Amino acid sequence: MKRVTLNVDLTEVRDLLERVPRACVAFASEEGPRVELVTVVFTDDRYLVGMPSGAANHFTAHQEVVLLIDDGVQFFDLRAIYVRGHVQPLSGVEGLADDSVWFAVQPTRSVAWDYARMREVDDES
Amino acid sequence: MNPDDPAVVDILRRAMVARIATVSRSGRPHINPLYFVRENGKIYLGTVDRTLAALNVKANPRVTILFDVESEPNDRRVLTIHGAAIVRTDSRLCRWYVVRDYRKYILSRPGFLNALAHIRLLPLVRRFVTSGEKGAECVLEVRPERAERLTAPKQAGNKDVYIRRQRDARFLRR
Repeated sequence: MKRVTLNVDLTEVRDLLERVPRACVAFASEEGPRVELVTVVFTDDRYLVGMPSGAANHFTAHQEVVLLIDDGVQFFDLRAIYVRGHVQPLSGVEGLADDSVWFAVQPTRSVAWDYARMREVDDES
Repeated sequence: MNPDDPAVVDILRRAMVARIATVSRSGRPHINPLYFVRENGKIYLGTVDRTLAALNVKANPRVTILFDVESEPNDRRVLTIHGAAIVRTDSRLCRWYVVRDYRKYILSRPGFLNALAHIRLLPLVRRFVTSGEKGAECVLEVRPERAERLTAPKQAGNKDVYIRRQRDARFLRR
């Protein structure tokens, strides 16, 4: 049995991490879901996210977040990296912009997709 | 900001991809990029009923949607809309959505060029959309309640999209 998939290995969309087109994190708050735009630096296999201090006030340490790095407008240009994980406050890392508060996202699940790589795969379910 | 504010409407008119954040019954966040159309002050996003976005909306109608002006590389305006959503599965609305979606995303010049450049994938897209593997078609109908204007960080440029679109056009001219 075959099925159609868009999912790709993270290494196949690694350019999204080297030159982040747009990125945001989503997390739960008392008022419902929140989304904040973030700056992303991927270094030493770690996702470092920076955001203005006002936005960072809504976070608590170890809170679960989803980091979405996505690109494209037209159907076959759509690509993304989706990282679910927990945030950890970060300090003392050199080279990060001073005007943001920085966190590391410890991934628990990562998925990537690329609509131009749509293909059939064996259905293992 | 009021969702009817002309500055809000202007971004919604130009934006192409909506990133919708939802929260599950147990409080776990999720975000997904989806295509959307706007009509009579409401925002409609197409998906299928077994996606996390649809399942979460059924459990908790609060949503936040992020929009930016992807097609204009130097425009760093970003909009977040907070609102309440419902999952619509009625076939009349789903058909209406598909027609509007096609008009916006496929029957535009960039959309048509993009589809032509990937014409070999169209049978797979058809299978992907109609197979029902991910559930039945549905539309998330969002009633905006509040809007916020933000500015994207500098990394959020969209030159790549621009370059890729030009590459598709060059491919077709050959």
